[in-house]
Amino acid sequence: MSEWAVRVSEVSKRFRLYHERNQTLKSAILRGRTSKHEDFWALNDISFDVLAGETHGLIGSNGSGKSTLLKCLAKIYWPTSGTIEYRGRMASLLEVGSGFHLELSGRENIYLNGSILGMSKKDIDSKFDEIVDFSGVERFLDQPVKNYSSGMYVRLGFSIAINVDPDILVVDEVLSVGDEEFQRKSFQKFRELKKQGKTIILVTHAMPVVRDLCDSVTWLNNGVLQQSGPAQAVVDAYLASVEE
Amino acid sequence: MSYLRDIWESRELLQNLTNREVRGKYRRTALGQLWSLANPIAAILIYTFIFSFIFRLPAQVGDPSGIDNYALWLVCGLLPWLFFNRVLTVGTESLVANAGLIQKVYFPRIVLPLSLANATFFTWLLEMGVLVVALSLLGSFVLPWLPLVALFMIVFAIFAVGLSMIFSIINVYFRDLSYLLTIVLQFWFYLTPVLYPVELVATQSDTLGGLLGTPITLLDLYSLNPVEGFVEIFRNLLYDNRVPDLGTVLVALAWTVSAFGVGAWMYSRKEKMLAELL
Repeated sequence: MSEWAVRVSEVSKRFRLYHERNQTLKSAILRGRTSKHEDFWALNDISFDVLAGETHGLIGSNGSGKSTLLKCLAKIYWPTSGTIEYRGRMASLLEVGSGFHLELSGRENIYLNGSILGMSKKDIDSKFDEIVDFSGVERFLDQPVKNYSSGMYVRLGFSIAINVDPDILVVDEVLSVGDEEFQRKSFQKFRELKKQGKTIILVTHAMPVVRDLCDSVTWLNNGVLQQSGPAQAVVDAYLASVEE
Repeated sequence: MSYLRDIWESRELLQNLTNREVRGKYRRTALGQLWSLANPIAAILIYTFIFSFIFRLPAQVGDPSGIDNYALWLVCGLLPWLFFNRVLTVGTESLVANAGLIQKVYFPRIVLPLSLANATFFTWLLEMGVLVVALSLLGSFVLPWLPLVALFMIVFAIFAVGLSMIFSIINVYFRDLSYLLTIVLQFWFYLTPVLYPVELVATQSDTLGGLLGTPITLLDLYSLNPVEGFVEIFRNLLYDNRVPDLGTVLVALAWTVSAFGVGAWMYSRKEKMLAELL
């Protein structure tokens, strides 16, 4: 029995839907401090554990709250109530190339983006060749990123992110970047990370990916946890409910 | 406390974001960083022409340095003001402008206004370097005062970034602020003794006496402006070559501590909600 790496305990997240939002000075003065809103609970009392070394999938239809949960796991949103605990360093990969500066070269952006993702300069130095290699943009390394094709751009972003080397990796549907060949390389990389004993949490709509990569799965529906457990069983239950 | 540790741990990120601003700004321009000197030079030429040549405003004589040059006197106050102006303008926008980043990656958000202030500070440092050379050539023995100048540059920068931190959070709630700020900064500039000596205000204030029957004078109100004290300190050090008045220094320090304290407090309270609010 292995230990948990991420523990989600009774997490709820409320959003306020504003009907009349006081976002300008005029409306604030005219209406005073009151603004009308209604509460929307995107997540309702969610609890589950992700075991160390496991690859865990979050599934559910659109609007089920899985992206909100992922953002909570990535520390971008903070739960209204409940806690999320981590054992080990967490890094998130919600978008590739966040914070790229278009005028700067690929080389400069590797350092910039790497540090945004929480790498130290030493980390980046030691991983630099690997990042460049994996991305396949070596020839254009000293060109400004704005001249990159969109494929090169995401490949570089993905290569940096995948080399952050955290204990726990939180991933949005970024597996689908790049061409066929790059996708195959990415999958390979994920399997490698898995083999190294990293804990991975990912959101995806592609059930084949879930079956292929995930050990366990959490299924959300309308912000409520439906099932959490072994991948095969939960995916089957989810697919059965969709077909109904 | 853990918040301070977070900031400390992201110092490399701070440095990288600063580099992004500094390097990214003048990319693909022939003059590069020299462009950052263009704005102050244009302002100096214009103001000197209007106030010294047309209006015949008498130059202030540095005491004890003895230099007598309106343009230099102006620049000693103008450069700190221009720095202040830029830090506030870009700092206030820093969160809204980086909304995409805030919604995708976790990092202490405070590094955004800090990195912009750092980049602006770098420009200011260049400008001050040129000023020191010009002052030395024209008879101000400024070199021994440089450590104090550097110290007050840092203090003033902390004051400016503290204010910009406060404004950047308010700007998330009220996007009007960044537009309002442009106008406020114009008033603020003319209400700060950059173009004219504060003595002219004092003279007017004496003629008027207590306002509306109170003992409060125009000068008292005028002196509420925190930047006034800073401008005086920089002029004392650079132009006059003397130690600034202790009272002025203490007031400036008090402003700095409160501005940065309130700014940091606002970040520690609001930071977690920023991704939703943007």
